[in-house]
Amino acid sequence: MADVAENPLINLSDALAERVRLARPLIAGIAVPGHRMRSGTLWRKDVVVASEQRFPDVGDAKVTLADGSAFTAHVAGRDPGTNIVALRVDGTPDPAPLPAGQPQPGGLALAIGADDSGIAVRLGIIHSVGPSWHSRAGGRIDRRITLDIGVTPREEGGPVLDAGGGLLGISTLGPRGRVLVIPAVTVEAVLDPLLSKGRVERGWLGLALQPVLVPEALQAEAGQSRGLMVMSVSKDGPGAQANLHAGDIVVKIGGESVTNPSAVAQYLGPDSVGKQVELRLIRADKPLSIRITAGIRPSR
Amino acid sequence: MSAPAGRVPDRLRVAVLASSAAAQDRLATLVARCGHQLVEAAASPDAVLTDGAADAVLPAAAVAVGAVSGEFAGWLPPDAGTAQVDAALRAVVAGLTVRAAPKKTRSFDSLPEEPPVLLTPREIEVLGALGNGMTNKEAARLLGISPHTVKFHIESLFRKLGAASRAEAVAKGMRQQIVEF
Repeated sequence: MADVAENPLINLSDALAERVRLARPLIAGIAVPGHRMRSGTLWRKDVVVASEQRFPDVGDAKVTLADGSAFTAHVAGRDPGTNIVALRVDGTPDPAPLPAGQPQPGGLALAIGADDSGIAVRLGIIHSVGPSWHSRAGGRIDRRITLDIGVTPREEGGPVLDAGGGLLGISTLGPRGRVLVIPAVTVEAVLDPLLSKGRVERGWLGLALQPVLVPEALQAEAGQSRGLMVMSVSKDGPGAQANLHAGDIVVKIGGESVTNPSAVAQYLGPDSVGKQVELRLIRADKPLSIRITAGIRPSR
Repeated sequence: MSAPAGRVPDRLRVAVLASSAAAQDRLATLVARCGHQLVEAAASPDAVLTDGAADAVLPAAAVAVGAVSGEFAGWLPPDAGTAQVDAALRAVVAGLTVRAAPKKTRSFDSLPEEPPVLLTPREIEVLGALGNGMTNKEAARLLGISPHTVKFHIESLFRKLGAASRAEAVAKGMRQQIVEF
């Protein structure tokens, strides 16, 4: 009979269970009266992070850790841009930090959430790993990590571990049920402003833009074949103050060519608020430069 | 669970199990407004309406209003009205599972990257006119161009969008991504 310790399946199983055991103190169940339970991650002492989308518009919640200890929590800040809500939970233990995860396509990953019995664990592989990206809500996410793991809305917001037990980030439900990871570095980057100010301020132009083909006759003038046409201008927004109009085609921002929405988003990070930037436009078939001062993006 | 034979009666016998007297009253009022008969939990009710906090063992045909956790055939938001409660009670008695439709919110998503086709500003204007149900002549008048030019742009739109009709062009063209910054 083979020695049990030599059985690779049991070894794998034990190793996974050990990763989960180490992460267990991070798993937070979040209860909001009148709403379904959801999951969160005890990120540091007294701070739980969770998925912002569909998080009820409330001030208080109850947080229960996997050991059954319960705490009163209040929502300290929300960032739709990175899909993170931060809860201040006074009196939690200081969780032993997990090492930083190393995302690699095809590597094993564990997604953990809270449930009635404490924790719920799912195993799968990392589906893809890409460079940084911008969300539709304006946030910059440091890496695009997608999982081949199904996560329920209840488990969303819990930690995702790599095969070595390193923390990759928190799980987030994307379009069509895809599961994304908001990387730990992205959580770290927004956490301090969320805790101190309640939100993350990002630049805002007050313009609705659509990618367009620059009319052929103007391509030489514009120096490019693509641009972003202004479809509407928010009343009293920075675009309106800079006298932009629907129909203007934006071809450059700060001297750099912009042909897709991500290129604009790159200019509108937290550092852009209050700063002036030059827009190169085509208006009424003529090139034109306008200076615009970025405002603060409204939260919704 | 197998579906019960026959029709669900018009008037159900419904028990209420709640965590507080106030919740008990509120749920009992909902049962009455639905036109159902309120009975004791021990009197083998057709269905149970609860706020989810009751410790009692619930029969399968239970509808929870505003519950935070638990296992229920029916699950309604705390602000569920008479119509939803009535429909949910009938549905669970018929052996169905009930969940309120989620509020329609766009899930967390990335910015659109490369649009599949790029339209010119004029084509976007013509598409907008088509979307408003205008004829070529009306579009031409609106945009200050000739009907012939409008026709030219529409042909280009059909080609780019792979559309065979004006309606299809409008439907496909609407998917062009507008992003607010």
